[in-house]
Amino acid sequence: MLKPALTSLMQHICAQNNWAKPYLITYAGKTLCMDFSIMKMPLQVLEDGSLSVAGETALADATVHIPPSLAIRLLAKDEAARQQIRIEGDTHLAADFAKVIQHMRWDAAEDVSRIIGDIPAQKISDFSQHSVKEIKHQLTNLAEMLAEYWQEEIPVLAKKRQVETFNASVDTLVSDVDRLEKRADKLSQKLQQESPR
Amino acid sequence: MTDNKTTHFGYETVAETEKQKKVGAVFHSVAQSYDVMNDVMSAGMHRLWKRFAVDISGVKPGDKVLDIAGGSGDLSRLFSQRTGETGKVILTDINASMLAVGRDRMIDAGLNVPATQCNAEKLPFPDNTFDCVIVAFGLRNMTHKDLALREMQRVLKVGGRLLVLEFSKVWQPLEKIYDAYSFKLLPLMGKLIAKDEASYRYLAESIRMHPDQATLKQMMQDAGFERVDYYNLTAGVVALHKGVKC
Repeated sequence: MLKPALTSLMQHICAQNNWAKPYLITYAGKTLCMDFSIMKMPLQVLEDGSLSVAGETALADATVHIPPSLAIRLLAKDEAARQQIRIEGDTHLAADFAKVIQHMRWDAAEDVSRIIGDIPAQKISDFSQHSVKEIKHQLTNLAEMLAEYWQEEIPVLAKKRQVETFNASVDTLVSDVDRLEKRADKLSQKLQQESPR
Repeated sequence: MTDNKTTHFGYETVAETEKQKKVGAVFHSVAQSYDVMNDVMSAGMHRLWKRFAVDISGVKPGDKVLDIAGGSGDLSRLFSQRTGETGKVILTDINASMLAVGRDRMIDAGLNVPATQCNAEKLPFPDNTFDCVIVAFGLRNMTHKDLALREMQRVLKVGGRLLVLEFSKVWQPLEKIYDAYSFKLLPLMGKLIAKDEASYRYLAESIRMHPDQATLKQMMQDAGFERVDYYNLTAGVVALHKGVKC
């Protein structure tokens, strides 16, 4: 029952974003698999430029690997996280698909307005958007506060600066060991040359 | 020569020439209570399955759609909303009683959907005519499924899609419950609601004789379809196959 419900939702969103169809229609029949590590979601571009869940035996033309940790960062609109998305297969399909998805919006107010009218629907929509923004802000604050606590009060997390210093120290140690090894080699060679035959 | 050829009618083996008449008799008998029985048997889910088939079809305004074994016209009605005034949907069925129910419904709904009585194994349409052909819960009853699939391929345009919505092989852990439902409860419901136990016993038997998901996929490929894929719905009770004419 999940497939019909998901397909119906995707088609509804595609219908609200009619501008996307000419972009997607060029990939009609192609399958793109979203791999979130814990679950995979194969999606198919249909002949009318809308989207559906792909069938049981569909082979993906492109696979986009997004591990859960990356997905959270993407949801938090972390620009650096985009660079870490790994794509396999048809990169044009994956790139164009990502562009389209990024700009698609679900006009929930439009859907709710059919039941309760335009003005209450808009007010509910504004309130929901404001709530989501506030929750996101509070969650970011909480995450930053926890990170700071674990770095300063109970140091279980290392700061970026500390990791960099540690890495530099390891590099220095490696080069010192190399130098020491070479010196020891030279000394042993010298000792062999000076030893009586 | 061909008179000796046999086929199955549920669990019975009958002459090929007889199957069409027997299937015809089943649908003449259930035509008036067909939709009520579908709702009772599937707990209304057949509507969801059909809507999903329309969603997957990729049909857009202006397209031409052929609804084979369309019976009471559920799918024709859904498709005509998609094709709009510039497109066309043709409702067909081999059974006059079922087609009459569908035709009347289309007229009552104010839809311009022509109804044609025809055999899916000999479709009366030229090559490369339709953007989409659908057969929902009809392929199972056809005597020569391979012939019918080739005919559907013939009337499709290049790039056109065939959708086959049909009962299929249920998820193995549910088989026993499904068998009990099909062979005990289904005929009883047929007896109480449609006053026709035998027809609903045939329904259960014909489902078991129908090819499973992988076999039907292969049959569609053999008929010339490409990019054939299927969706299991409700744990495989029903499967939606889709193939493209390339």
